[in-house]
Order: sequence, then C-alpha cells, then structure tokens
Amino acid sequence: MNPAVLGDAHRLATRALEWLHTAHEQGHGALPPDGGADLSDPDNAYKPIGECALAASLVLRETVSGPTERERARVLLDFGWQQLRQGELLYERQFRHMLLSDPLETYLHFHRSGYRHPALDELLSGLDGLRATHAVETMPNRRLAIANARHVIGLGSRPDWDALAAATWLGARPEPWAIDWTTGYSVTHTVFHLTDWGALPERLPAPLREYLAAWLPVWADIWRETGQWDLLGELLIVDACLPEPVCDPQNWEQLVAAQRADGLLPRDLDPVDEDPERAFKDNEHTAVVGVLAGTLTLARALR
Amino acid sequence: MPFAESPQREFAAATEWAAGRTLDALTGAEGAAPPTPAPAAPEPQALLAGVRVLGPDVFAPALLTGAPTPPETTEIVAEAFRVFPSDESGIHTWRDRATAELLTRAGYPVSAPTPPPPPDPGEDGWQHWSVRMAQLSCLALPTLDGPVHQRAREHPLALARGAARAVLRRDHRTSARLVRWLAWLHRTGTPSTLELPPLLRQLALTGDGTARSALDLTVAAHLAAG
Repeated sequence: MNPAVLGDAHRLATRALEWLHTAHEQGHGALPPDGGADLSDPDNAYKPIGECALAASLVLRETVSGPTERERARVLLDFGWQQLRQGELLYERQFRHMLLSDPLETYLHFHRSGYRHPALDELLSGLDGLRATHAVETMPNRRLAIANARHVIGLGSRPDWDALAAATWLGARPEPWAIDWTTGYSVTHTVFHLTDWGALPERLPAPLREYLAAWLPVWADIWRETGQWDLLGELLIVDACLPEPVCDPQNWEQLVAAQRADGLLPRDLDPVDEDPERAFKDNEHTAVVGVLAGTLTLARALR
Repeated sequence: MPFAESPQREFAAATEWAAGRTLDALTGAEGAAPPTPAPAAPEPQALLAGVRVLGPDVFAPALLTGAPTPPETTEIVAEAFRVFPSDESGIHTWRDRATAELLTRAGYPVSAPTPPPPPDPGEDGWQHWSVRMAQLSCLALPTLDGPVHQRAREHPLALARGAARAVLRRDHRTSARLVRWLAWLHRTGTPSTLELPPLLRQLALTGDGTARSALDLTVAAHLAAG
C-alpha cells in the first residue's frame, strides 16, 4: 500500500485519539449529573460515550497502535464504563425498554474490550430468544448493527447476513449517481456492521465488494470536494473494510490537512465553535471517525 | 441576423443554432436539415464559427441515420476550416482531425495538424481525464476510431466514474458528454459499468436547456440503441 497513505492514516488516528483523550481529561463527554437510564436525549450524552468506546475498543482490537495510544484507549473505555456505572445504566435501560437496541449496541464496545455486566449478559441472552426483539421494525442498515452486536457479544441467534445485506440501499447496487448525503451514511454503516469494522471482509457479498470498488472513489471525491470531512472519513473506513484500497491517496492528504494542530478534525467546512464544549459536541463524532479510518487502514495493510 | 452584441456571444449563439439544426436533422423534425445558410441563420462569419465549434457533430445525422449530409452543409464545414484554421496545440486538435477525416471522406480533402498524445488517466487521475474525454465527446461517432477511442476502450470504468461524478456535481454538460462515450463503447462492444437507459432518462429530465447538451444526449441515445 502507498506509504504516504499509511503515514497519513497513522497521523490522523494518533492525533484524533489524542484530541479525544485531552477533551475527556478536560471534562467533556460526561453524562449530565442527573442522568438516569431514561435519558430523554441520548444523542447528546449517552451516544457520544458509545462512540468513543467504539473507537477505543477497535484501537485495542487491532495491533497497530503504540503503547501510548493503547493506554489512551483504555482510559477512554474506563471513563465510559464508569459513566455507565459499570454497565448498570445499560442494564436498567434494557430492562425497562426491552425492544430498544441501544443498550445492546453500546455494551458491545465494552464487551469487546473485556468489560462485563453479568445480569445484562443474561438479560440480552433472554431477549435474543424472543421473536419480538427480532421483529422490531428498523432501518435495514440498523438491523445489521444489531445483528453484529449480538454476534460479537456471542448471543445465540444466527442471522442470514446475505438477506440482511440485500435489504439495504447498498444491497440493491443502485445507480451510483443517485446517492445523497444521508444515504452515504446508510452505505457506510451497512459496510461497518456487515464486516464488523473490517474484521470480516468476506461477510460483504462479492457483488457488493465489486460495486464499492467501482463507486466508492466517486463518492469520496464528491464529499472531499465539498469538505464533508466526517462523511469522507466514514467512506475511508469503508475502503479499509475492503480487501484492497480503492480510494485516491489525495483523500487522505486532504483529511490530514483539515485536521487542526490540536488534533480536532472538523466535521465540515463550517467554522469550529469557539466554545470548547460546543466544539467537542460538534466534532466528537468526526474524531471517532478519524481514529477508526486511520486505525483500520493500518490494520488492513498489516493483515 | 445578428444574435448578440459581442462576437464571442454571437459565436456562442451561432454554435447553439447550428447544434439545434443538427439536432433537428437527427431527430427528424419537420423541415430539418443540418446547418446551412437560411433566413434565420446567423451572420455568415458567425455561422462558420458555430459550425467550426460543432466539428464532427455536423455529420452526426448522416453517421447515425444514414441520411446524406447536404452538399451545402459540407461546403460550409470546409469553408469554416479555411476561415478558422486548426491551431497546432491542445487536445482539441483531435476534434479537428476527426472533422478533417469526415470532410475528406465527403470529398473535401483538408489536413489537420498532428494532435498531442491522447490523454491518459494515469497522468493525473480519472477525474481530470474524464473531463478531458468529455471535451472530446464529439469523436464518439460511428465509423470514427483512433487513439482517443482506444483510450476510451482501455478505461471504461474511469469514464463511468467520471459520468457518475459529473451527475453528482450537477455538471450536466459533462454528464451528457461522458454518457455519450459510454454509449459509444456499448455500441462498439465494450460493456459499461453504468446502466445506460436510467442515466439517459435522468439526464433527459434534468437537461441544462442547451441544444449542444441535447445533441450529445440524442447522439448517446442513438448509439445506445444501436
């Protein structure tokens, strides 16, 4: 693989992780003090904890990061697990709302990294045996997220991956010129969950791999030109989930060039808010994307 | 009849007029004929400029439908070549070479300078290459073949990516020109990675309103149906 890309991937991931780590040290990313299992707006508090845990769990899963990065990843996971009261919050939320999937999907990242809540394990195993939880009406790419979380945690259900893939937008192999910004995220998430973030590239059906090899470079080019760094980063994660790289190295150059000296990777071309709390909330997801894009690209190259 | 107040705008308007006449001839509109002097035609020099810009496409109706090109149209193209001689640089000399070949076939032998090597996507990526190939889309006609066409045959995916990129960038003219290349490839036996009928339909629905783009799309539709 292009050595310049590997250098850019390393730089992007290391600095994005450092920014996330520093932001947490400064007190960002914590749940509100009165937060309980029924958080009314999980997107603003609960979801970022899951996203940071995702990035950290994959830094630990792969063997491409140095000891400093692995330590930072562990600190972020410990912080999140403590915020979730060692999984108790997830358990309570899942206990009260049996058809919700976000406790399962959040637990996945901690479970992957060795954290356990035995009562939650038992609860999830029981729910996995219900037709009711499998029949919840969910977007096709979200169904894949849930199926992959059950798979990694080791629950008993055996999904039909090809059927789940076929139900997504990507699965239809649609006219590539008809994609839009929102659908771009549907495509990236389909690939993330279908391949378990690059660990199982063969679970992506061959026709979809070929389709992505043809059109991913076009989509990356479009959202690079418009400075949609968050989506561009997700598309580069998709690239890292394919057997071979297909996107132009210039995408990496521009993404690294967009990253600020302190490691903040702006989500788009809008000015970064001067309020640190607002800047964290606005750009935390893109930092997670930067960590994952860099880490998984390096991991694929060394596989 | 003057079309516009500045020569540049007048020539552009004349090119549109000539493209419209060619389009009419291709679609069989009533009373249609390729560009010839007519009561509503642009001033003579502007007409020559318009025909010169249109290049090989003046012969598109004949090449696609078999209807002969009227001798007065061929004379105008030959005259345009004399009044506006081919310059010696740039990839557009490939267009002049194609026009010269078609004129020579029609009995008006003219010469065109040797063009530079055809563009290659290895030079600066499929994005730039596809845009340059779009500028040469008027070469995508039946019976024309050469080094530029060979490049198209060698890189169908780069052309398809360029077409998809152009649609997403709302660059209708480049989209139409690249789908024309894809249709030419289809006609000459190179399968396209992009399905042509839905793309042709979409571009027809979202046209930029110019006769030049409509001509590219109509040529593409003829090629795709062939």
